Amino acid sequence: MIGVIKEQNKNIMKLTIPFYLHKAGAGFPSPATDYIEDDLDLNTHLINNAPATFIIRVQGKSMRDVGIYDGDLLIVDKSINPKSFSTVIANVNEELVVKTFIKEKEISYLTSGSKNINDKINLDEDQEVVIWGVVTYVIHKLQ
Amino acid sequence: MSYTNYSRKKDTIALIDCNSFYVSCERLFNPKIINKPVVVLSNNDGCVISRSTEAKKIGIKMGEPYFKVKDLVRKNKVHIFSSNYALYGDISRRVMKILKEFSDKMEVYSIDEAFISLSFIEDQRLDEYGKEIRERILKWTGIPTSIGIANTKTLSKVANHIAKKKKTGVKVLNNDAIIDEELKRFHISNVWGVGKQLSKLYIKNDIDTAYKLKNISNTWVKKSTNVLGAKTVMELRGIPCVSLETLETKRKSCCVSRSFGKKVESMDKLKESVTTHCLSAAEKIRGDDQVTKSVTVFIRTSPFDRHKEYYSNSKTIDLPIATNNSIELISAAIEGLKAIYKYGYFYQKSGVTLSQLTDAKKEEFNLLAPLLETKSKSLMQAIDQTNIKYGRNSISIAQAGTGNSWKMKREHFSKIDTASFNHLPMLKI
Repeated sequence: MIGVIKEQNKNIMKLTIPFYLHKAGAGFPSPATDYIEDDLDLNTHLINNAPATFIIRVQGKSMRDVGIYDGDLLIVDKSINPKSFSTVIANVNEELVVKTFIKEKEISYLTSGSKNINDKINLDEDQEVVIWGVVTYVIHKLQ
Repeated sequence: MSYTNYSRKKDTIALIDCNSFYVSCERLFNPKIINKPVVVLSNNDGCVISRSTEAKKIGIKMGEPYFKVKDLVRKNKVHIFSSNYALYGDISRRVMKILKEFSDKMEVYSIDEAFISLSFIEDQRLDEYGKEIRERILKWTGIPTSIGIANTKTLSKVANHIAKKKKTGVKVLNNDAIIDEELKRFHISNVWGVGKQLSKLYIKNDIDTAYKLKNISNTWVKKSTNVLGAKTVMELRGIPCVSLETLETKRKSCCVSRSFGKKVESMDKLKESVTTHCLSAAEKIRGDDQVTKSVTVFIRTSPFDRHKEYYSNSKTIDLPIATNNSIELISAAIEGLKAIYKYGYFYQKSGVTLSQLTDAKKEEFNLLAPLLETKSKSLMQAIDQTNIKYGRNSISIAQAGTGNSWKMKREHFSKIDTASFNHLPMLKI
């Protein structure tokens, strides 16, 4: 087993050799060099407030109408307050659920996005219902 | 007699403590257990290490072995959880990150506690500021906290005790008359830094409240206790003696050990466990910027197994050059393990101790140290940073194994890890 460790040491040597993007020397240096190392970082695009952002996987089909499918990943920001038609995670009857938050005049309620009117949960009447966080992005795998 | 804080500018220190932290973490994605009695158990489901308020009321004591409370648990439908340190670690890092935005002077005291300096906030705004901190942590992470604010660490601990019983969760203790009033009601054994032994000594001398300790004579304290005892007294008087940084006295040795969930016989499994212990010990000392000169590995069978002979042994390997490199430490530990391993025993526990720790910066530049030193140093940094970012054991060393059948017993494990794509919280919709 110690042999294996030594073997790994060799690999480390290989890994840590500095890598230059362009040759030093004569000639006009590539103007693109300064930009090459800036890989696109999806974290900066998808996560605005890291300590308050959680990623949650969903199972089920009830939110297809708002574009959330079985197996999707939700990026949820707990620090922001929902606007009307925000998709939210809420604590309803001791369960975390995904709902659409709607604010009409003075009344705010949650729906499943379905056309069924009975599906409304009035937030002002039901004090037990708590907004857990606001869904800011959905990551959906196409293939 | 009165003691005043002389001309110096007053420090203000806040102690932020997460309420029933592990329980609060378990509740984050599991609303069914909010407002219900909940208990989290230590490694191997051994003892109670975190209790919800409801569980405390039922009479479940901190640190009690699980088997002793099983009856209470059944009768009161207490929800039981095995500890999920990956989850608690991630939530803790989030809480600390948020705190850092409120003050740049901060000391993370434990997984669920931190001191921050609030000396830049005017006295009359402290309460409001504390509430703001508390509300933000609650909204952003779902974790309730208690905040004690005072002029010394020891007094902020007292304030924190009081805050826990308040609805607002914040207590500012910076008025002499109010401090004295509270200290009169504060039992000596709850004072920070007063352990069991010291507590006994004080009570024997009729010092049973923090107030009495505050007003004890300096000569008596110096004669009867040690430097720390005297410091506590000064701190109760509002004179800072334990500054934010210096209390973090770096450790002299670092031990990581674990009992196996299922007893282990084979050398390979032992190697895996020793490697894993080495990795976490090395990560710990690297975190404190320390290096070690000696690695001790130990293994033992169960001393309570009457049918089998007891075997326990340890081996210390001294290193030529002080290091905190996981690879070097592991190869030393494995060498030690080979020297003490005996076939035919069922091992119950293994561990690794790194001793003679010193400050890495103080280690003189070693002319003999090969190029490899710096090379693998940057590898170690890369591993630590990845593990901080993506959760423990994201990157490891192959020998640590991946199956880990020696791993501990976790019968009530919540399986959620907010920092790992493989164990994200799941929501049925």
